[in-house]
Amino acid sequence: MSLRYSKNSIKIISGNSHPELAQLICNRLSAPLTNIKALELSNNEDVVLVGESIRDQDIYIVQTGCGGSEKLNDYVMELLLMIRACRTASARKITAVIPNYPYARQDRKDKSRVPISSKVMANLLQTAGCDHVITLDLHASQIQGFFSIPVDNLYAEPSVLKYIQTHFPDKENVMLVSPDVGGAKRVASLADKLDTLFALIHKEREKANVVSKMTLVGDVTGKVCILVDDMADTCGTLCKAADLLLENGAKEVMAIVTHGIFSGNAVEKLNNSHLKKIVCTNSMPLGKTLQQCSRLEVIDIAGTLAEAIRRLHNGESVSYLFNNVVY
Amino acid sequence: MRDIVVFSGSSNRGLAERICDNLGLLPGEIELKKFANGETSVRLCDSVREKDVFIIQSGSGKVNDNLMELLLTVSACKMASAKRITVICPLFFYSRQPESPASKKGIPFISKKDKHEFLHSTSSVPCCASDSSKLHNGVSVKSVLDHNATTCEDISEQHRHHPYKTWVAQSGTLIADLLVGAGADHIVTMDLHDPQFQGFFDIPVDNLFSKPLVQHYIVNYVQNYKDCVIVSPDAGGAKRAAAIADSLSMQFALIHKERHQRSTEKPVTAIGLGSCALAPTASTDNLIITSANDGQSVASTIDDSSNTSCAGENVVATTMLVGDVQNKTCIIVDDLIDTGATAMRAARLLKEQGCSYVYVIVTHGIFSDAALEKVRACDAIDQFVTTNTVEQRSHIKQYGTADGKGLEVLDVSRIFSEAIRRINNGESISLIYDQGW
Repeated sequence: MSLRYSKNSIKIISGNSHPELAQLICNRLSAPLTNIKALELSNNEDVVLVGESIRDQDIYIVQTGCGGSEKLNDYVMELLLMIRACRTASARKITAVIPNYPYARQDRKDKSRVPISSKVMANLLQTAGCDHVITLDLHASQIQGFFSIPVDNLYAEPSVLKYIQTHFPDKENVMLVSPDVGGAKRVASLADKLDTLFALIHKEREKANVVSKMTLVGDVTGKVCILVDDMADTCGTLCKAADLLLENGAKEVMAIVTHGIFSGNAVEKLNNSHLKKIVCTNSMPLGKTLQQCSRLEVIDIAGTLAEAIRRLHNGESVSYLFNNVVY
Repeated sequence: MRDIVVFSGSSNRGLAERICDNLGLLPGEIELKKFANGETSVRLCDSVREKDVFIIQSGSGKVNDNLMELLLTVSACKMASAKRITVICPLFFYSRQPESPASKKGIPFISKKDKHEFLHSTSSVPCCASDSSKLHNGVSVKSVLDHNATTCEDISEQHRHHPYKTWVAQSGTLIADLLVGAGADHIVTMDLHDPQFQGFFDIPVDNLFSKPLVQHYIVNYVQNYKDCVIVSPDAGGAKRAAAIADSLSMQFALIHKERHQRSTEKPVTAIGLGSCALAPTASTDNLIITSANDGQSVASTIDDSSNTSCAGENVVATTMLVGDVQNKTCIIVDDLIDTGATAMRAARLLKEQGCSYVYVIVTHGIFSDAALEKVRACDAIDQFVTTNTVEQRSHIKQYGTADGKGLEVLDVSRIFSEAIRRINNGESISLIYDQGW
C-alpha cells in the first residue's frame, strides 16, 4: 500500500526583492501568492510573518539577488528566514527560486585567505533548510556542485535565441560576440544553434570591476554585432566592447544579457555608450532602470521559471526547458 | 598570548581597538568592502594557519550586512586553516525576535487572540453589513477582503475553511545554525536578551554580564546610592534588575505594563496579513516596522496600519508601579534600548509618582528610528548611561553635552579582553561574571 498525499498544492511565496516576477509566475501557474511576508524592523532586523497554513505543501520562494549595497544582504537574510519559517511550519518541500544567484562571482579562492562566498551561500541555504534550488544562468555552473541538494540551473538561451530569430531574420549579417573568454562557450553554443559566426574579446583585469585592456579576435566588418553575456553589472565591459567593435568596422552593436544588475552608474554609462540596444531578462527588478534607459528591452523569463516549477512539482523532466521556450 | 589573531568586523571598530589595546596586540589586518552590486567581500591579510582566531562583530547598524560579513569572515578563517574560531558578538544578532512586531504607530501587526476571535465570529454567524451591531468584527473584515471576495457568504466560507492564526517566525535557531555552519567554534556575547538563546547552539556560548560595570557605576557615580531605587521597566527584566539591587542591597521597584481590551465593541480593522488589534508585546521595547523598506507590498501594509484610527482607542494600557519612589533617585536598568519607548514611558511614570531624579542604565544602546533625539528631548530622563557594545561614538556626538546631560558610555572592552585572554589560555571565565575584570 503506498502512501498518498491528500493535498498536493503549490504554494508560492514572494520575497521583497522582486514581487513583480513572483506575481508573473503566479499568474502563469494560476496560483495565488501565499500569505507569508517578510518585514523589516526598526533595528534593521527582518521578521517573517506566516499567515497561512503550509503544512505538507510544496513551497517555492521567489527571491533574487538584487538591491545593491543597500539591500542585497537583507534579501539574502530574508530568504534564509523565510526558508526556516517554512521548515518550522512543517512544509513538505522547500524550493528556493533564485533567478540571479547572489555571490555567484566569488566562486573560487583567487587570492589566499578569501572565503569562497558562493559556497558559503550554498551552505547558508542548506543550513536554513532548503531542499531544492532553481536558478537561472549561473555564472559558473560548477556552483551546482557546492550544494548537496539538487540544483536546477535553467538557461535563458532558448529565450535569447527566440529574440534574435525574431528581431534579426537576416542571420548572415549578424555576428555574436563574447565580451570575455569566460563566456565563449555560452556564445559558441548560441552561434551553433543560430548557425552564425562568432567573435570574442579578450580582456585583462587588474582589479574587480575595472577592465584595463581589450583585444578582438575575429572579423566584424560591416556586421551587426550582438554582445552576449550572463550579466551586466557596472557595464564597463559592455561599453568598452561596443567601442572596440565599432572601431573594428562593425555596423552597429547591441547587447543581450541574462541578468541586468546595472549597479553604480551603469545606466549613465549605457546612455552615453555606442550600444544601440541592451536586452536583458526580468530576473532582476528593472522598473527604475527601464525609465532611465530608453535603450533597455526586457525578455520575460517568468514562463521558463513557472514551467520549471510546474514540472518540478509534478515530477516531470525539466531538461525540455534547456532547449525550448515556453509560451 | 599564544598564536592569537583578533579581527574586527566593520560594525564596532572602536570596541575592537580597545580590546586589542588591552591585550597588547594589533588587530589582525582584514580587508572588508563591497562590490558594486552590493556583495560583501572579505580578505584576511594576516595568516591564521593553526592560530586561535577571535572575530569581533556586533549585531547593530545594518544587521544583515554585518551578519553576512561575519559569516564570510568565519568561513575565510576556516578555509585558511585556523585552529579555533571564536566569534565575539557584544550585541548578539537577532537576539530579540518579538512575538508581535508593531507598525510605525506602535500598533502590533498581529494579535493571536483577536485574530482567533474575529475568525470565530465570522464563521459562526452570517456576516452582513446591515446586520446588528454585534457583528462589527465581521463587517470590518469584509471591507478589507472586498477585493477578493464579493459576497459576505464568500468571506465566511473562506474563513470557515481557513481559520489560521498569523504567527511570527522565530529566527534564533537559524542564526545559531548559520554561525555554526560557517565554522564558528565558540561564541562570546554579553547580556543576552533571552538566556535560552544559549541552548540554540551546539557549541559553547559564553554569556558575559555587564552587571559588575553597572554596579561599579552606581557605587561610584550615583550620590547616596544606598537610598536610591533600582527600577525594572518591565516584568521581563525584573530578574536582571533585582540581581543588581540585591548585590548592592538597594531597594527595588518594578513597572508592570498591563494591556487589555476595552469592553466596548469597536470595530477592529484588519490590515495586511490579517487582523490588527492589540496584544501584549513580549519585547522590552517595541520593535517597529520601518517604512525604509522598499518592498511595495510592505509599504502598503504600513499605510493601512496607520489609517486604523480605531485600533489605538481599543486598548487600555495601564502601567503600574510596584514599590515606593517618592522623593527618591531612581535607576532604571534594562538590557537594551531600541526605539526608547519603554524607557521613556517608565521615566515619565516615575516622575509622576514623585521621584526626584531618573538614571537610565542600558547595556545595548541601539537607538534606532530617531530614538536618540526622543530620549534626549525626554524631560523625565535626567541621565542616560549605556555601554559600547554598540558603537557609540556618533551617538555621543549627536547627543551633545548641553545642560550637563551628556550620554555616558561605560567601556566593556576590559571584560571582553579578559575573556579573550582566559579563553586563549584555557582558564575559567566564570570569575569575570561577578568580578568584571
